[in-house]
Amino acid sequence: MPADLPPASEPLVFAVPKGRILKELRPVLRRAGIVPEPAFDDPGSRLLQFRTNFEHFSIIRVRSFDAATFVAFGAAHLGVAGNDVITEFDYAELYAPLDLGIGKCRLSVAEPIELVAHDDPARWSHVRVATKYPAITRRHFAARGVQAECIKLNGAMELAPSLGLCRRIVDLVETGSTLRANGLQEIEQIAEVSSRLIVNRTALKTRPEELQGWIARFQEAIDAP
Amino acid sequence: MIMTAMSHSGHPGLLPAGLGDGLPPEAEHEADVVSRLMAVFRGHGYERVKPPLIEFEDNLLAGTGSGLALQTFRLMDPASQRMMGLRADMTLQVARIATTRLGRSPRPLRLAYAGQVLRVKGTDLRPERQFGQLGVELIGSLRPEADAEVVLLAAEALARVGVAHLSVDLCVPTLVPAVFQALGLDEATGLALRRALDRKDAPAVAAVGGAAAAILNRLLAAGGPAEQAVAALAAVELPHEAEPDRQRLFEVVRLVRQAAPGLTLTVDAVERRGFEFQTGVSFTLFARGTRGELGRGGRYRAAGPNGGAGEPATGCSLYTDTVLRAVPASPATRRLFLPHGTAAVVAQAMRAEGWITLAGFEPDVDPQAEARRLGCGHVLVGGRPATVNDASGRSEDQPPVGNRLANTDRA
Repeated sequence: MPADLPPASEPLVFAVPKGRILKELRPVLRRAGIVPEPAFDDPGSRLLQFRTNFEHFSIIRVRSFDAATFVAFGAAHLGVAGNDVITEFDYAELYAPLDLGIGKCRLSVAEPIELVAHDDPARWSHVRVATKYPAITRRHFAARGVQAECIKLNGAMELAPSLGLCRRIVDLVETGSTLRANGLQEIEQIAEVSSRLIVNRTALKTRPEELQGWIARFQEAIDAP
Repeated sequence: MIMTAMSHSGHPGLLPAGLGDGLPPEAEHEADVVSRLMAVFRGHGYERVKPPLIEFEDNLLAGTGSGLALQTFRLMDPASQRMMGLRADMTLQVARIATTRLGRSPRPLRLAYAGQVLRVKGTDLRPERQFGQLGVELIGSLRPEADAEVVLLAAEALARVGVAHLSVDLCVPTLVPAVFQALGLDEATGLALRRALDRKDAPAVAAVGGAAAAILNRLLAAGGPAEQAVAALAAVELPHEAEPDRQRLFEVVRLVRQAAPGLTLTVDAVERRGFEFQTGVSFTLFARGTRGELGRGGRYRAAGPNGGAGEPATGCSLYTDTVLRAVPASPATRRLFLPHGTAAVVAQAMRAEGWITLAGFEPDVDPQAEARRLGCGHVLVGGRPATVNDASGRSEDQPPVGNRLANTDRA
């Protein structure tokens, strides 16, 4: 049974990412007893903010990177974001108390298969990388003494090597089939990725009972079979 | 040539990133809030000091100041040929005054300050590079009563200027390092654990924590409303090195609670960010619905002039920009238009009654229209203030010039 929640008197906003992760999140929401209004599941709906069965609790559906930003700035109080996004921004105002165990994949470095055979990473002093994650990429390479010049792309990273934009990419890898289809090979894993429940720092400090109630509720939802 | 002109001139109103002009009525409001906060400090015996904007870099950034090195603007003093730093924080300047020039004043020494600071980089939540800082330093007492006094003083001052739903989050940034040391964690594990604790990421703590994971996750889980947190913390089996920190925290919670039963008080046993130089009970001030921290404070050692252990001290800094976001909008001003030719004694009498008076210079204008144009809610008619009527013929959609000022005149 979900934990009892103290009554909320002020709005709470929950930011969830659109797309793949949302599909996996739906059962978690259901087990947590959160029922969004019908428009939430209507792909034709143009609404961006949705009411739920809890009077003061609404859901916004945004891009995965934006969920972290809304929560970090306090525009949303709770949210869901992958640790890829959390690490990329490294917002100090964001707590990630729970691993929801969904949206699992890994963040990896990949390069063309024909390059792998005669590439010796120990000789690199500088690499050019296409990625959606410039901060993680720079930190990762800097830690081993290599400067990474990042080309920020928002999608279709796999095209970059074949079209000569750069030879290496840093991207999410789920099964590796997209990489293979584009002649790329995963050469190094940077991090394991999964989706986390995220909480705004000020919200947790100023509405502690309420927010802890929601965290406990999600904990029970992921513990439940 | 054109390129050069474009890159070097630009719009005359453009300021460097993170800097801004304070305008009416906000600039007035800020000054008013600061002076009311300072009055509360003064009421508790904190005496004001005024350190300079710029100091020698090696003094400003010595010891605990080294944490601000990356945030400090520097310039060369052409006179002494020494490098100077522009203050990024006033706390250490005040501590320096306490241990040097006021070294022989009786302890505990209570000092207050207010001024502007400048930082090299803004943050996500505070893009401003210049902002106001004000606060108190309490030097020369190691008693828990001193810790409690500073927390309560900050809470009282913020309540006095109208901050609603204030929340004080207490922490002891030395607690987790004491646990690390007692368990003999290596540096890499410690670093990974700190990152995980900063995110309150319990699964990561469990994954990288090894022997320390169980204890740290109990400390993490103990965070929350103070009474609940004290009970949970009391039940954690801590290495004896961490015991003094825990007892001090409990004592401060008790003292604060006794004096302010209604205050929202939380405890975070694993908080450390920004408290790297704190040596004991510390705290962060939040207000519900206000982005960022209103202020923070805590225990530290005020370094003496000849090095050594220094003096025990605690203190608190408030950040004016965040505080202003948490206080109600400035109260309406009572602006009264005095038509041309109003006698000086009449004007003086009106100001004595509390009016802000604006003298008209033009003899041949309609006083009503002129008052409205200048954002005055009242105009002097027959020696008495009369309400400026709104029957101006203008539609609501086309506000008069100076509308914003007019809107503040809700007298």
